[in-house]
Amino acid sequence: MSEKRRIETAIYLAFFALIMCAPIILDPFWLNRIAKYLVFGMLGVAVALSWGYAGILNLGQGLFFGAGAYMLAMSLKLASPTSLQQGSDKPVPDFMLWNAEPGSLTDLCCINKASFLWLPFQHQWFGMLMGLVVPVAIATVIGVIVFRKRIAGVFVSIITLALVLLVRLVVIDAQPVTNGFNGLTDLGWFRIGDFEFDPYIVPTYYLVAVSLCLVLAAARLLIETRAGLILQAIRDDQNRARYLGFDVPLYQTFFFAVSAAIAGLAGMFYVVVSEFASPTFMDLTFSITMVVWAAVGGRSSILGACIGAILINMISATVSETAGFAEAWKVIIGLIFVLVVLYLPRGLAGLAHDLIDRLLARRNTPSRGTAEVSDASQLAE
Amino acid sequence: MGQIALTIDGLGGDFGGYKAVNNVSLTVEDGELRVLLGANGAGKTTLMDLVSGKTRSTEGRVFLHDNDITNWEEHKIARAGVGRKFQIPSIFKDLSVRRNLEVASCRNPGVLANLRFGFSQQARQDVDRVLELIGLTEESNRLAAYLSHGQTQWLELGLLITQNPKVILLDEPTAGMTQAETHKTSQIVNSLKGKHTVIVVEHDMAFVREIAERITVLHLGQVLAEGNVEQIETNPKVREAYLGSKGIG
Repeated sequence: MSEKRRIETAIYLAFFALIMCAPIILDPFWLNRIAKYLVFGMLGVAVALSWGYAGILNLGQGLFFGAGAYMLAMSLKLASPTSLQQGSDKPVPDFMLWNAEPGSLTDLCCINKASFLWLPFQHQWFGMLMGLVVPVAIATVIGVIVFRKRIAGVFVSIITLALVLLVRLVVIDAQPVTNGFNGLTDLGWFRIGDFEFDPYIVPTYYLVAVSLCLVLAAARLLIETRAGLILQAIRDDQNRARYLGFDVPLYQTFFFAVSAAIAGLAGMFYVVVSEFASPTFMDLTFSITMVVWAAVGGRSSILGACIGAILINMISATVSETAGFAEAWKVIIGLIFVLVVLYLPRGLAGLAHDLIDRLLARRNTPSRGTAEVSDASQLAE
Repeated sequence: MGQIALTIDGLGGDFGGYKAVNNVSLTVEDGELRVLLGANGAGKTTLMDLVSGKTRSTEGRVFLHDNDITNWEEHKIARAGVGRKFQIPSIFKDLSVRRNLEVASCRNPGVLANLRFGFSQQARQDVDRVLELIGLTEESNRLAAYLSHGQTQWLELGLLITQNPKVILLDEPTAGMTQAETHKTSQIVNSLKGKHTVIVVEHDMAFVREIAERITVLHLGQVLAEGNVEQIETNPKVREAYLGSKGIG
């Protein structure tokens, strides 16, 4: 087992090294693209944690992603030059001015009824803080209600699915403060101190890449703790865990909130690299796409789900831009998904586990049969 | 006379007018092994449900030593010291046998308290000891899903022993077992005598004879008789209600 642990560590380190070296060969355009995919990889981690380890299939992960994205985007919108063009020294988002009623005061406090909500977002740190606090708060409320009521399985999926659609409607409907369908565009650059993170420069890439490495390591260590073990026990048999004395809803809510925090963080990074936030983040298709990433990569592997997200996005970007495939790429992605679910139920990570086990078994005990190998491969989970 | 570990006082459960358990009173001493006997529908499993918090009682009280645990949430009753094994064996099938027992060895139930790595020397020794007792040392790294039915039952017993509650409720621990497996189970259960207070629901009379000290017979949700194997076998009311004219077994 410990040998297996060493190989796993090596694979993590190899992945870290790979994404750290990417800027050497990539031009700024592709660098920005890969940074976006790394953000999706972070979303994959969030899905794997809640689906693979907590057994909660959240079909509304986009809610947390979107919440994180909007919170930071509000701050960056106020930092944008477009918010200062109206001859005022106080920032007001351009769309608020366009829609302002004649004669209303052009100030954030009262240009429309709800614009005061934007006031604290003049500080970027507030947007960043809210980008974590809001998803975690929503997740905690959902968790306390849903898990205390012992709702499980497909019903949780339906509730989360309905919620993300509901919030999407509210965001679109609250046009005066959210710019509705158009979302928040023309954002300023994210800054730390005096440094501005232009989305197309290498430091911005590293900001995302290093954060992804930290999130990966933290999530992997988290499930290695005793609490992570208990969480997996709860996934396998809630009732048994309950009669061993564990407060099941507490564990579920905690890890649901951690997953939401990671999704919120991903939302913020996405805004930094793509310079917009839009209600499409809360489209149903996007939330389901995340689940597909995790399924292909391997939902019970943190790194697997992350790599699944990055790979699928790279493939779809390449295929959709290849003449002849431009129309067919969605079919190809769909086909990959179907094949993976049929033949690799544990995803690419499961395949990797099996291969490693086979290699280890061959090296350690060359005489033993294959029956033992398949046992060992199951253990790897 | 030892101390009373579990007191059930006039316990009743009402299911839409139907009383599956009606005014049952029972006291079990510390370290005692009590068998609950009764025909199908006598209320044995329901009584366990009421004690362990799975179903809410509508009347009566349950005391663990001097602690009133009536209608507490399941995990609180478990933490207070009542462990339970289910009729259908339930274990954590996607974890290895050892990991299963490690889960049960976590003494502190909180999330934050468990945000740490590894287990104490004490916990590891406990797990090794239990593995030995339930005879799964060889299988400790296997996934629980691949255990045989009998081994699964023993693993669940092992979870309970590792959890180390004062009172252990066992619901048909030998269901679906071969004779040899049943015998081994009786050895495990016998090894709990004295250390834990054990209440066993069981049909298998061979097994009951191997383990029983005192037997309580339930009939139609009420206590019909109580005594040792001999007394129960010769009790005319029990013969009539449950055993037929053939006697026990």
